[in-house]
Amino acid sequence: MTSLDMIHRSEAAVSVELQTPDMTLNIGPQHPSTHGVLRLVAKVDGERIQDVEPVIGYMHRGYEKLSEVRTYAQITALVNRIDWVSGFANEVPFIIGLEKLMGVEAPERAQWIRVILSELARISSHLVFMASYPLELGGTTPLMFALREREYILELIEEVTGGRFHPNFNRVGGVKPAYGGGSTTKKQSMDLPQGFFQRTSDAMDRMDTILDQLSELATGNEIIKMRTVDVGVIPGDKALEYGLTGPNLRASGVGYDLRKADPYLTYDQVEFDVPVGRDGDCYDRYMMRFLEIRESSKIVRQAIDKIPSGPLQAKVPRVLKAPAGQVYSRAENPKGEFGYFIVSEGGKMPYRLKIRSTSFSNLTILPWVLQGQLIPDLVAIMGSLDFVLGDVDR
Amino acid sequence: MSDAPDTTAVEPNPLEKWAISLADRLQAEGAIVEFDTVRIAVARDQWVETIIAAREELELFSWLSAIDWSKDVAVGEGVAEPDELVERFEVLCRLSSVQSDAGAIFVTTLSKDDPSIGSLAPHIGGAEWHEREAHEMFGIDFIGNTNLIPLYLPDDFEGNPLLKSYPLISREVKPWPGDVDVEAMPAKDEDGDA
Repeated sequence: MTSLDMIHRSEAAVSVELQTPDMTLNIGPQHPSTHGVLRLVAKVDGERIQDVEPVIGYMHRGYEKLSEVRTYAQITALVNRIDWVSGFANEVPFIIGLEKLMGVEAPERAQWIRVILSELARISSHLVFMASYPLELGGTTPLMFALREREYILELIEEVTGGRFHPNFNRVGGVKPAYGGGSTTKKQSMDLPQGFFQRTSDAMDRMDTILDQLSELATGNEIIKMRTVDVGVIPGDKALEYGLTGPNLRASGVGYDLRKADPYLTYDQVEFDVPVGRDGDCYDRYMMRFLEIRESSKIVRQAIDKIPSGPLQAKVPRVLKAPAGQVYSRAENPKGEFGYFIVSEGGKMPYRLKIRSTSFSNLTILPWVLQGQLIPDLVAIMGSLDFVLGDVDR
Repeated sequence: MSDAPDTTAVEPNPLEKWAISLADRLQAEGAIVEFDTVRIAVARDQWVETIIAAREELELFSWLSAIDWSKDVAVGEGVAEPDELVERFEVLCRLSSVQSDAGAIFVTTLSKDDPSIGSLAPHIGGAEWHEREAHEMFGIDFIGNTNLIPLYLPDDFEGNPLLKSYPLISREVKPWPGDVDVEAMPAKDEDGDA
């Protein structure tokens, strides 16, 4: 036996011992659990994640730069493409900021319409979550239930705005004269389509029934609970440090909702509760959305009762020019705080538009929360944060 | 920046009072309230300390970004009065309270010759990505952020797209096809053969 053989054998002996050396695992950008094109470079030790580096930007469209070469009226068409799951909700903070800058106030009817459509957008966004999250955990049936219901909501949005995903319905000083358009100066101004309130009200009734069914199907499901309870816990202080907002923040026990904390539109005139979680785990984040759909349907019903008649549009100049100034306006998007920082130099276009997109901030916590987790939990945690890659990449 | 609201001699409203007292407490350079938006001017060397101190009452780290104040504008509109403009960067960081509607944007000024500033990332985890974005978009250095690799842009991308002097490539390739209210139609500004 030569000495060379000896070395060889001793090495073989070492490798027989069970070892799981660090391995770099690439997940995505094309992966069903990433909701788009998100890539994760994970350093794993066996099944445990040691470190993860999200790689984003595959869908970066440069909206902040593009906004610098668009007139204010054209920008609304851009911004509802940021988070396409709730297009209408993206327009609202921009238009509120712009109205503040220009000293225009939308008529009350228009404000209520914005409230109704914002809440419909919230319901449809949360229904996408209700569809995709159980799917990621292995249950396919809730997908069918939730997406079918979402289709009814999208139909309502479409019949008012003309668009299922990208309404582009807000105008400075009001909303677009609905249903076919037409001049606001004519004696008979355009309004919402006939029977819209009745259909919306019916849809809300159906929503409550469906939520009960979804609850039986998914919420109380033992497997879903096992996959989500105490998984991916985010404490409140960490959530604040990473700029989490919306249901993700409230799941961690911080009851911060801009509709209550800093009311805009007519949210101060409706009564609703803000669900707040306790543990900050995936289950709480799931439940937040589940409970918020009910609150949204409450708001929609009250709005239908309270909406006054009147014009949809205030008088505004033909060419929109914002006076010089800097304004930050924000609103409670389905996913959290959505804000625009508009820097105007007095022209037709903004000098700079900073978009504070919700999912981007919500995703920054990913490396922290995934550390030390198991790979199968990665999907559960990512899904529970409910991000849209268009909103991350802007 | 440092001369706080001197525009009106009238009694400051509650928001202005709050903004001025916040600036005093943090020993900042001044406060500006405009369209219900509070901006607190901070000295560049006090940046990190001020933000950390401010988080005692404004807990939520909302966002961080920058503005390029430049005379050299490749696309879009420039400032209203270019002759009076001092070319500079402004770095902005917004914090807000989760107990009330309070919130403020902290602003500091960087010279174009030395666009660098202390990093918030070691103290506020959420700032890392925002600083990476500002780094690639404006070329601002965040000293102490060890991970300033490109966030959105490809690794081999050259330039800083959100600088005002940076052209919009798609416009170089194809002129704006839309209505004339944004830019002149190409056929109209050059002898009709564009």
